[in-house]
Amino acid sequence: MTCRLAEQVQVRKESWGLLFYNQPRHKVCFVRSGDWLYPRHFDGTWTLPAIAADIAGRTGTPAEIIERSLPKLTDHLTGKGVICHEVR
Amino acid sequence: MKYAEWPLSAPVNITWEITHRCNLKCVHCLSASSVASPGELDYDACRAVADELAALKVFEINFGGGEPLLCDYFLPLLRYIHGKGIVTCVSTNGTALTDEAVALFTGNPLVNVQVSLDGATPEVNDSIRGAGSFHRIVRGIERLAGRDIPLSINTVVTSVNFRQLDELKRLAKTYGANLRVSRFRPSGRARQSWERLRLSAAQLRELADWLGDDPSILTGDSFFAISADGRRQLGLDMCGACKMTACIDPVGDVYPCAFLQAGEFRGGSLRETTFKAIWDSSAVFKAFRGLAPAACRTCPRFEKCRGGCPAVAYFVSHDLNSADPECRLNWSRDASSAGSPHRAG
Repeated sequence: MTCRLAEQVQVRKESWGLLFYNQPRHKVCFVRSGDWLYPRHFDGTWTLPAIAADIAGRTGTPAEIIERSLPKLTDHLTGKGVICHEVR
Repeated sequence: MKYAEWPLSAPVNITWEITHRCNLKCVHCLSASSVASPGELDYDACRAVADELAALKVFEINFGGGEPLLCDYFLPLLRYIHGKGIVTCVSTNGTALTDEAVALFTGNPLVNVQVSLDGATPEVNDSIRGAGSFHRIVRGIERLAGRDIPLSINTVVTSVNFRQLDELKRLAKTYGANLRVSRFRPSGRARQSWERLRLSAAQLRELADWLGDDPSILTGDSFFAISADGRRQLGLDMCGACKMTACIDPVGDVYPCAFLQAGEFRGGSLRETTFKAIWDSSAVFKAFRGLAPAACRTCPRFEKCRGGCPAVAYFVSHDLNSADPECRLNWSRDASSAGSPHRAG
């Protein structure tokens, strides 16, 4: 299962995390994800384990912390309607 | 810290006044538009600006002026910007629509159109936007209505159209449009009409109540300062100038917002430097991000509104340390001293 930006949503990286923009609602969503997530993670090719491995490789964060926190973060983004999960 | 205070690498949206040329001469025009200014950016320069805004991932550009549809290269520029995936809002007086413009707007997911109308009757609208403008504007709205175009009618609320807000809401609904209301602010030509057209404390109270009763009414920025708390949560709840937004004028000068286009607030020129350099390093922009008007710092609502609209405060008092004179606390006090039974929430 991969992550993809929801329809008509854009995202950009900021120093504190990700800024999502919901075009139909003209609303932005601030997500304090620090250096964990990048817009590329939502291009539809990244699975959660692949994102976790990428975070661990770049930040040195222990795997158990990422495995515990990342699903909560992506669930939050799904709940906000800015990303969706795709079964490939 | 409010979300709007989180540092951004670029604005969420830009107001881009593409020309000062206008076929109307509205008494409240924030940029005092009538004829094109010498040195307005040409098509190539505008495309270069668009390239930079796209690279910075600015999400929205709100085009105004002047009348943007009177700019010769406006529609090609709009197509160019859409090619980069940037969402646009075109603020027009509705009198200069062409078949080409209507076709470009129709079914276009990257376009929103906002037509300015300042009264539900010719008498009221034309007293602000000029003789004969009501019927011309309505004809424009009729050309846009019923198509696949996100359409809103924008009204700057003044003492002369205040009693027509319900009628304007009905009129907008007739055309399948939303009604959006904007605050009247003493910028541009409105400095001369401020005392005559501004709302009284009692009218501000009524307006806040009216807005509170209908969440479907869209509001421009800076309503957070005058509205009840529930209403404030529908949009930006503090001034977004230099934090989430900025304004580019027709000659490429960059300002904190469209209502602060005065020399003392000029952040820089796109003829001399990049937008990113202005956004990151301009002394004016840095100062605005830390703006905390002295008159407001001890106010119990300061954490909620951060001092209201700096443009109103500045152009009324010539002092950025002054409070927005129309903020909820100010008008509540004024209304109370006039014997009002209502209290601010």
